Amino acid sequence: MPTVNLTVNGKAVSANVEARTLLVNLLREQLGLTGTHVGCDTSQCGACVVHVDGKSVKACTLLAVQANGSKVTTIEGLASGDKLHPMQEAFREHHGLQCGFCTPGMVMSAVCLAQNHPNLTEKDVREGLEGNLCRCTGYHNIVQAVLAGAQAMRR
Amino acid sequence: MSAPFDPNRNLANVSLRHVGKPLVRTDAPGKATGRTPYAGDYVMPGMLHAKVLRSPMPSARLVRLDVSKARALEGVALVLTARDLPDRLAPTDIPGQTGQTRLKTDQQILVRERVRYHGEPLALIAAESVDVAEKAMSLIDYDLEPWPGVFDPESAMRPGAPVVQGTDNIVARHAIGKGDIDAGFAAADMVVERTYRTQFIEHAFLEPEVGLAWVDENDVVNIRVSTQVIEHFRFIADAIGVPHNKVRIMGALVGGGFGGKEDITVEIYLALLAKHTGRPVRLEFTREDSFVGHGKRHPFILTYKTGVKRNGKITALDVRLVSDAGAYVFLSPYVLLYGAIAAPGPYLIENLKVDAVSVATNNMYTSAFRGFGSAQACVAYEQQMDEVAQAIGIDRLDLRRRNYLKTGEPTATGYRVPSAVWTERCADIAWQALGEKTPAKGAIRIGRGLAAYQQSYGRLTFLHDTSEAWVGVEVDGTVIVRSGVTDIGAGQASALAQIAIEVLGVNMENVVVYNSDSAVTPLAGTTTATRALYMTGNAARVAAEAVRGRLVARAAKAFGVPVDDVVLADNKVSALDRPDKAMSFADLVRLCATEGIQRSELAMFRAPFTDRLDPATGQGQAFADFTYGAHAIEVAVDTETGEVTVLKSVACHDVGQCINPAAVEGQIEGGAAQGQGYALSEEMIYREGRLMTPSLSEYLIPTAMDVPVVKSIILESRSGVGPFGAKGIGEPALTPVAPAIANAVADAIGRRIHDLPITPEKVVRALHGID
Amino acid sequence: MYATFDLDRPGDLAAALAILRTKGAVALAGGTNLIVDMRAGRERPQRVVSLDKLGVLRGIRQARGQVTIGGRTTVTDLLLSPVIAKTAPALVESARQFAGQMVRNTATVAGNIACGSPAADLVPPLFALDARLTLVSARGRRTVPIESFFIGYKKDIRRPGELISRISWKAPSSRSCALFYKLARRKGDAITVVGVAVALDVERGRCRRARVALGAVAPTVFRAREAEAILEGQTLTPELIESAAEAAAAAARPIDDIRASAAYRRHGVHALVRRLIGQAWEKLA
Repeated sequence: MPTVNLTVNGKAVSANVEARTLLVNLLREQLGLTGTHVGCDTSQCGACVVHVDGKSVKACTLLAVQANGSKVTTIEGLASGDKLHPMQEAFREHHGLQCGFCTPGMVMSAVCLAQNHPNLTEKDVREGLEGNLCRCTGYHNIVQAVLAGAQAMRR
Repeated sequence: MSAPFDPNRNLANVSLRHVGKPLVRTDAPGKATGRTPYAGDYVMPGMLHAKVLRSPMPSARLVRLDVSKARALEGVALVLTARDLPDRLAPTDIPGQTGQTRLKTDQQILVRERVRYHGEPLALIAAESVDVAEKAMSLIDYDLEPWPGVFDPESAMRPGAPVVQGTDNIVARHAIGKGDIDAGFAAADMVVERTYRTQFIEHAFLEPEVGLAWVDENDVVNIRVSTQVIEHFRFIADAIGVPHNKVRIMGALVGGGFGGKEDITVEIYLALLAKHTGRPVRLEFTREDSFVGHGKRHPFILTYKTGVKRNGKITALDVRLVSDAGAYVFLSPYVLLYGAIAAPGPYLIENLKVDAVSVATNNMYTSAFRGFGSAQACVAYEQQMDEVAQAIGIDRLDLRRRNYLKTGEPTATGYRVPSAVWTERCADIAWQALGEKTPAKGAIRIGRGLAAYQQSYGRLTFLHDTSEAWVGVEVDGTVIVRSGVTDIGAGQASALAQIAIEVLGVNMENVVVYNSDSAVTPLAGTTTATRALYMTGNAARVAAEAVRGRLVARAAKAFGVPVDDVVLADNKVSALDRPDKAMSFADLVRLCATEGIQRSELAMFRAPFTDRLDPATGQGQAFADFTYGAHAIEVAVDTETGEVTVLKSVACHDVGQCINPAAVEGQIEGGAAQGQGYALSEEMIYREGRLMTPSLSEYLIPTAMDVPVVKSIILESRSGVGPFGAKGIGEPALTPVAPAIANAVADAIGRRIHDLPITPEKVVRALHGID
Repeated sequence: MYATFDLDRPGDLAAALAILRTKGAVALAGGTNLIVDMRAGRERPQRVVSLDKLGVLRGIRQARGQVTIGGRTTVTDLLLSPVIAKTAPALVESARQFAGQMVRNTATVAGNIACGSPAADLVPPLFALDARLTLVSARGRRTVPIESFFIGYKKDIRRPGELISRISWKAPSSRSCALFYKLARRKGDAITVVGVAVALDVERGRCRRARVALGAVAPTVFRAREAEAILEGQTLTPELIESAAEAAAAAARPIDDIRASAAYRRHGVHALVRRLIGQAWEKLA
């Protein structure tokens, strides 16, 4: 069984995985980080988005072994202590969530998007979130939250 | 029965501190940080993993099922087939709390002989890991012999059609007859008849069905599950053959429902596997399991024949509804009844005839979905209004204005609406709010559409609905609400918190809601039918009022003032105009505790209990009240490619009273997106009963790029029967959206596409007649 | 069912190519197709060779009028590159419409070509660029025009163990215009129903070079050469453009599926070729 060594939310982690173990299974089942969700089998829904070396990826489509040596951040690693990350705060404040199942993936995608676009527009947000499905909100408040969160991140 | 709403009633004195404010929901922080545990996040030591083997054929006879190799596989704990479950059936009716007669419909838990739909379960497996369970699944040998099937309701009604249910596939009929239909048509200057069709729709909640079951030291089967209805515990107990008090359902925050977690999903499988193995068992559906494993929105065929005078007054309406019930009955009779009652829409139709029938086929069974028959009816009645307006050459909004139902006037069933009916106001406001029309350019044409609606909230009153909530105060002044209500993402629990703190004068940080446990929280009924706020909100308000009454009485005594002068606000107790009289809320609670004054209350709210509707005429009371509103849409249609872009989306609803306006807007915006999917892109395609769209790459719900900014205009008549005059908004948010889009597309291209979804291809066919 | 396999993560290309010679080995690049197919049991490789450590295969450069990108260049890399923005605007447009942000972050150009789908979004623009593919294996390398790479539905000329290491094209002249349109059932993240890429080069009021590449309307992406022939050497008129569009539609061999009928796809080719050629000509004229 291959061993992977990676940094997850700032902590060094070593785990034995199968070759076929997906990053999302390592996170959820072996590391107990259940904030990363699985909503589909076909890489469509985006509920499993995490950051690998600062880039948003779908953890259901990446082998755990491929993340060996990488820095992985999940929704649980975004806040610093009790202080929510500005993007989390924006989702909370702007009612950018309802059932909440898509929220961790949305927040992770949004953070990466904000980091890549210094002046995020509504159109950028909608295009940036096309790989994150939500069935509750109609995206309206999510888009508002991402715009507000991106602005807060710049401060 | 409540008195009719008086539109002149003075509302100015009502002043609310927490209700009506966009407070951050109690569940928001946990969800934003990933800390909220969903049902799929629970694990137990020694837990087994389950899988369900399903039929790949829609209509077949199971001639051989050999599970011996699967049972022999190392790591397999149990394989169950129908042979292991003699006499066991799964009830498929609406769960009730009050013991009245129901439909008593059921379904085989596992296929005994006859397969009736693609995906019907053949066997259950519990193993040490998901991999072993999947391997075991592949080791099960079976032979299915194709059996004649029937795949559309019109064919299934014909004599000699293969029988799927009962003797003739008819699972329900409803009739409504009012006035004199012949005289109505005789008085008409013109008669317009059209047929509209709607499609199978998938809920596509983001969280697939999942649960974890274990048997405890009292032989109680505990099930932690993602469900809208914890009160299935009775049916689950019946299905596995134990007393009702030996099944406990614990919900979790639900990752989306929309009616798709209203029926039993994984619970019976889990209960059986846990009971037979004595070990905890977890079952999580894959997305494909979910798509083939739960009921869909009914396709309807709706034929509308409208008699109208030249001045726009509708004189007669004859409606025929046919719904595809799929392979099992489930909630089809109720969905059909909703459709029949909603058939005339928010209009006063004196001469009305509705004939509605629901027919079994070998398609996937169909059941609850946000809008529940009313949404399908709206797709037809609002397109028909535009067709009628065009036929007689009058403005679309004018035609509606001539015919809107008003407060106190009789609905389809003769019941007179007790609350405000602000349909006209909502429609006019929504239409105006579209603003200046986007200019057409090249191949792009612009169109606008509107749809108004009437939608019930709360269950059918002959189902005798009740709901309970418990409110208590702790000696430190904090508040606890307990209620069985499930929270499916609309902020159901948070709304109860807001109601309780409004009544008790404490702040949002000081309240906790415990919900969704069938053994511990008072039973509140289902989170369906836009009933949670109406029913449980009322129960919470009544409970909180009772607690408040006792606290206020004690404070009045302490202050030496009349009870009406005691003010509870901001965690403080004071006396009106007496600044010297004040204490903290916590001190008052402690005082009551010391003296043994009860600090809690369990309250039951009872909806009106009525008899069934007259079977011949459909007359009587069916619902407690209705929500009214409208949705307006502007689209751009590319006349060369057929692509439709929704440019503007404006909703105007009278919600009675917002409890949390942010949550109300969230419902409206979400409904707008779901309605857009219904109109344009979503369709569960079954070919000869086989599902052709088994994943989210084939079944296309709108993405952030597809939906526009939604403008929500919220009116508050404070006339509803919910707490503080609230009406329901969960289902109404969706109902008018699809017909408004259909009307906008027809406006843009000058041709109407009568069957949803309006795909680019259908637009091109309508315009260019390709082939 | 998601089957087990052996995984290698070679650190250099030679090692990767050596392992890829073994029977049942497949290359894993972005994984956005392969892992989904493996999870569904549609693909059951015995051995998976992850290319993620091969930085040598990733990158974009322009030299002497020639643009070359490594096979492992991601779709996001394309979007962030000024070279691509300048030399392949239609490719940028297809990259923009390619799935969603996260898939773009990992999916690779070579992967999109090698998956063989006629609906692969990056491929029609690469056809319109006359792109060439470099194929490497342990036995050597060869360079082929992308047009000759595909030989049937999900079939190509790769020999066992061969990888697409590079994609290159000649930077177009300043008097050229390339456009791409993706027609799909939904705006966000959807499978293409008709993909059209066109490119025109104009010299002294005449169309010197025309490319019309069509996706999702035949077993492979292909060039509608009849349509190109109608346009080349001509001063374009609405009538000429219309006949080119008709020729393109006639050349399409679409199928009926759950997304659209063959008739609609053919109609889409006609409408979009007419539109894009018209727009490109207008821009250059």
